Amino acid sequence: MTPNGAAAFALVAVLAAILGDAVGLAAAGLIVAAFAAIETGARSWAALRRAVLVMLPLAAFMLVIWAGIVGRSPSEIAAGVPGSRTAALAYVAGVAARLFVVVLLVQVVTLRFAEGTPFGLIRRLYLPLGAKRVVVVTLSLIETLRQSIDRAHTALIAGGIVTRTLSLRNAANGWLLIQTVWLTAITTVTARLRDKWPVESTLALLDPALDGAERRLAVRDMVWIGLALAALVIAAAR
Amino acid sequence: MLTTPRLIAIALCAALNVAVGSAVYLVKLPVYLDSIGAILCALLLASHRRVAFVCTLISALTSTLVTGVLINPFLPWFVGTDLTIALVSAFVTSRGADTFRARPMEPYRFGGLVLLYGILTGIAAAIVSAPVVAFVFGGVTGSGTALIVGVLLKSGEQLFRATLTSGLVADPIDKTLQVLIAALLFRATPSDFVAMVRGTPARGATGA
Amino acid sequence: MAREVFAGPNFSGRSAALLARLRGLGRPAFFVGPYAEAALSGLSTSVADELALYRAPQSTRPAFAALATEPLLRRVPQSLSGGEQVLLALRCFSQAASTAIGVDTALEQLDGDNRAAALAYLSGGGFDAMLIDNRAEPEGWTVTACAESPAFAIDWDALAATVRIPPAQAIAIEALDFAYRHGKTIFANAGAVLTPGAAYRLFGANGAGKTTLLKLLAGALRPSRGRLLLDGATCLPWRDGNRAFALATQNPDHQWCGATLREDIARRRRALGGAAAAALDDGHVEALARALGIASPDQHLYELPLAARKRLSWLWPLAGAMPWIVFDEPTVGQDRATRGRLAGLLARLCAAGAGVLFVTHDDAFAAALPHRVLRIENRTISLL
Repeated sequence: MTPNGAAAFALVAVLAAILGDAVGLAAAGLIVAAFAAIETGARSWAALRRAVLVMLPLAAFMLVIWAGIVGRSPSEIAAGVPGSRTAALAYVAGVAARLFVVVLLVQVVTLRFAEGTPFGLIRRLYLPLGAKRVVVVTLSLIETLRQSIDRAHTALIAGGIVTRTLSLRNAANGWLLIQTVWLTAITTVTARLRDKWPVESTLALLDPALDGAERRLAVRDMVWIGLALAALVIAAAR
Repeated sequence: MLTTPRLIAIALCAALNVAVGSAVYLVKLPVYLDSIGAILCALLLASHRRVAFVCTLISALTSTLVTGVLINPFLPWFVGTDLTIALVSAFVTSRGADTFRARPMEPYRFGGLVLLYGILTGIAAAIVSAPVVAFVFGGVTGSGTALIVGVLLKSGEQLFRATLTSGLVADPIDKTLQVLIAALLFRATPSDFVAMVRGTPARGATGA
Repeated sequence: MAREVFAGPNFSGRSAALLARLRGLGRPAFFVGPYAEAALSGLSTSVADELALYRAPQSTRPAFAALATEPLLRRVPQSLSGGEQVLLALRCFSQAASTAIGVDTALEQLDGDNRAAALAYLSGGGFDAMLIDNRAEPEGWTVTACAESPAFAIDWDALAATVRIPPAQAIAIEALDFAYRHGKTIFANAGAVLTPGAAYRLFGANGAGKTTLLKLLAGALRPSRGRLLLDGATCLPWRDGNRAFALATQNPDHQWCGATLREDIARRRRALGGAAAAALDDGHVEALARALGIASPDQHLYELPLAARKRLSWLWPLAGAMPWIVFDEPTVGQDRATRGRLAGLLARLCAAGAGVLFVTHDDAFAAALPHRVLRIENRTISLL
């Protein structure tokens, strides 16, 4: 399967999950489950676990708001009827199920292509070279910022400005961490822009590494996209 | 338009969005703080507003995509909000760039502009986000504003109006905080880097 | 093939001269700048991608193999130690198409064996090499001398007269256990006693726990078991905040708490309060900054040259707000004269009752500062 095919499949499947009623959602969910089982095998359990961990707090919060506080569904509110908590529960179940299918889909598609290197994946994507450059540099700078956050946090603690525990003082001084990280990153990229990159023509080295998108969809891609389209048709028709 | 320094600025601001936004999301703070980088990008390019808009939009969309895939799968639903924040930041907030960098600081003017731009950004973001929050998330996105939504719904308010109202309460506060942080970071940014991004000749290399 | 070393004190224009030489070649070269962040491309998020980025279709040079890259292929380059990043950069060059390399003080981050391997590789044939290194005088290299500049000159006499450190407490580490979550155990029932009026060098292999110990003492990490005592009183810096160890970080940019020195010190003063804050009065700080070669505390820190920022990072431990002076690689990027004078200053402070803890790969600096070795290995700490 190609990453471009997977992206197209994901977009269509998301639409199918969001637009349809319970039957449409079930069709989309079934296809996502089949995709997970076939394309990622046993690793799909990890994707399922992560999707549950992401959705559970939100679903619980929705229950508190809709079933606990509001006590009726949006359609009952719009109709001006007293409504029931059961209807509110059903509404929450519908919204949460849709979001769960979308979250699971993203996890599974990401997992499908987790084995290769970032350059390898990005190279295969059918995107303009400029867009690929932006994504590559962003990913690298995220890692630079992450390392800087750790070191700057240590320095702020060592400087007596913050402590490890949660406190108002720490929250108020949290912005110092952001400033230090930002300025450290600025200094790093300025040095690269001024010294390393011009001397090496480093960006010119990047283009061959990123160029070479797969321009055709594989047969497997088209099968999955076809199935997702079928789910979308079912969703749209109902 | 997209010179190498601007590519770096876009990526760096996107990375800042991801880093700060993710930390806030994972720690479950009652704010978002996921657009500081985008606002900062607009300030860095304040001298060319159209360029600022394009670069800010690219930065915001990149961070949304990366965060959506790696950390918070709910964020990509808000690409319309990214567009809105890019528009307001590039064509409105960027007008305060000179004030934000003025030394010594004019605190009342600084604070006043932060408040004004933050509220404007928040109102615009709330209006654009409300349909997504209402119809995709059922009014509940996991932040504390859902409690406001719940109270309004309980009183008989329609879902969309309840979501919009709670957004109009919370978003200006969140966006004002973000404009404040972005303005302070912009103020602290070395002038060499600002000059590089804007296309003014830079000074020589640092020495050993 | 040219072998050129740019010699001279700090701020003599060595970096500019090296870069000008590389640019003047008229062909793509390879550059390894000072500090870890300046060694690698800044474009990759895996070691495999970093290697692939630079790999030429047909490499004619033997690979520089001091770093075993196979186990690291999926690692994020930015998460490697500074030394590992420099070694990875050299490995990338050895497979690249470029036929010239410039290294600006980056080798100073390497331990003895790796440093020798790197110098031997750069001294070999097949490419032009340009080097700035404050600790090496490689044989057979052309020396380009750069003239001394008065910029950012340290007034060592004024510095010695201005520094006032309160007497340090004795530190006792007892039964220390620490392991990183999902990682290896660093300390198991480790202990040591450090007395004031002495300097201690933390010594151990990469990953042994030197930085971890500094973080535990400063309160950035919490041990799973064990006690820290200052003059016999239990101290919990991970809960109550750090009040004893003033740390200057390896990369100075990681320790600033403001965009200017005045902002940085003002925030520290507000956070500390009490006697520590009193040590940070404006007059004292300005005098220290002037002695360290910085004319104004309102100077934007990040607009100073790197070597000047490194020197200014010493101000915090020397300010006297905390009794123990802690340095993580204090002499990276500093010329020989500066390193010698710093060692002399620290020796005098120890004689006056201060406590000094330091990590360094600079054996010459360590030799100039009478010290005891705290060896960290096999999850224990032993005082040699």
